Amino acid sequence: MHRLWNRVDFAFSSAWQNFWRNAAVSIASVLIVWVVLLALGSLLLVLHSLDQIVALEKTKASAISVYLADTTPLSSAMDFKLHLESDPRVTAVTYVSKDQAMARFRQLPALDPSVIDTLGTNPLPASLDVTVKDIRDLGAIDQAVRLSPLVDRSPATNYEPNVIDKIILLARVAGIAGLVLIIGLTGLSVFIIMLTIRTAIYLRRKEIEVMKLVGATDWFVRWPFIVEGLFVGVVGAVVAVLIVGFGYHPAVVNLQSVLIFVPLSFDQYYLRLVLAAMLGFGLLLGSVGSYLGVRRFLKQ
Amino acid sequence: MATVMSAVPQISLQGVHKKYPNGTVALRDVTLMIPKQDFVFLVGPSGAGKSTLVRLLIREEKVTDGKIHVEGQDLSRLKRRHLPFLRRKIGMVFQDFKLLPNLTVFQNVAFALRVTEGALRHLKPKVEEVLSIVGLEGKENKFPDQLSGGEQQRVAIARALVHDPRIFLADEPTGNLDPATSWEIIQLLLQINARGTTVLMATHNREIVDVMRRRVVAIESGQIVRDEDAGGYHAPALESR
Repeated sequence: MHRLWNRVDFAFSSAWQNFWRNAAVSIASVLIVWVVLLALGSLLLVLHSLDQIVALEKTKASAISVYLADTTPLSSAMDFKLHLESDPRVTAVTYVSKDQAMARFRQLPALDPSVIDTLGTNPLPASLDVTVKDIRDLGAIDQAVRLSPLVDRSPATNYEPNVIDKIILLARVAGIAGLVLIIGLTGLSVFIIMLTIRTAIYLRRKEIEVMKLVGATDWFVRWPFIVEGLFVGVVGAVVAVLIVGFGYHPAVVNLQSVLIFVPLSFDQYYLRLVLAAMLGFGLLLGSVGSYLGVRRFLKQ
Repeated sequence: MATVMSAVPQISLQGVHKKYPNGTVALRDVTLMIPKQDFVFLVGPSGAGKSTLVRLLIREEKVTDGKIHVEGQDLSRLKRRHLPFLRRKIGMVFQDFKLLPNLTVFQNVAFALRVTEGALRHLKPKVEEVLSIVGLEGKENKFPDQLSGGEQQRVAIARALVHDPRIFLADEPTGNLDPATSWEIIQLLLQINARGTTVLMATHNREIVDVMRRRVVAIESGQIVRDEDAGGYHAPALESR
């Protein structure tokens, strides 16, 4: 116990001295760790948001809304509904009146209801929401309904064949670009931590020489430098965790107000996972960097 | 006075060769037995191989060929993780003292105990004990640059003594000291030897070697050219030094 305390005390006090003795290099390594983790955290959250959007779009994918012209009488609309229901490719058709459309619209997050009230009249069309068995039939249905004189012209339906593919592609591109960036920055940060540790070792070379001479074990000599590397990793990670932790919610709220039709939501549980991952990755960067730093020097 | 073959050797070198990676041959076929409690002067010109021999004994270097046993351990078979424990049995001092300038006298000596995880409860009494052996009571809080060369070497000796070493290696310990101070250091080494520690001292100091009449091992060009029980420094090639 006594010895363990001595080892811990020596490692931490030496690491603390090392850190401030070459403060410029140490702070540079903290900064690079911070940048890596900030990039990592942001990327994970952006990808998660894109995932949320894709998931929601997929549930919507087997349905289209066919907008009806305001001039369409209700009886014609019902006939059209029956006609669509008789189509073997269709599973269900729901009529949504202008008022119902407005009620739905009011429920969109981050939309100011007073703005809608100033419109006076209701600009939203009534619609038939058509659900199909196979989403591959959506295109044909879309083509067919556009021929009907009952259908509004601007726009006729909400059919957007490639929206999911586009979002998935965007997520993939963002993921790959982010990953490449993070791998590059990870390499750079490990290298800079390694340099920091080498500098610390260089500044302590006389002490290390004496330590080895009087019979200190290799690990006793190494620990202060490993601790210093972990310290760099933790400090960089904590700063990044604080920024992401406190910044995620305001960012989501702001984006919601700009992209009102994009279903973004704040995911507390996922955020915690991301923060834990950032902290873990910071520790990993610190330990790998410092291990590489001490490895070669203390070999012989 | 111990003779070469009188006891089981504490240090033994058998047919030791040392060739450095750059091709320099530092030692050739060196065989040397040092029994417990012996006091040995290792003499020879610069570059003769004295320092290499000392470095081999603490395994800072490995032999190219031959065998070295220290305290019954075969150094070529000693695992790296066991090396620190061998070093704790060997006290070492150098010409340049190797003190840490930012630590006080007390801290310099205590450092050796701390980094080898000695029992900290005994740290203070142990450090005080060795500082009194080397005659530095009252200078515990001085920094190395506030001390004379002789005092600095005493601190280094005190540091080498904290582990109660069985072997004491001194590589040119008086090399930077004036004659009077050198004698004080030699007296100290004799005291250490009298307490039962084997002392091996590599030196250029002809006067001391000649006066002491202890065992002298002379090395030239990596070979032992003389090993006398009560020898002098006298080797014509070294007169000019």
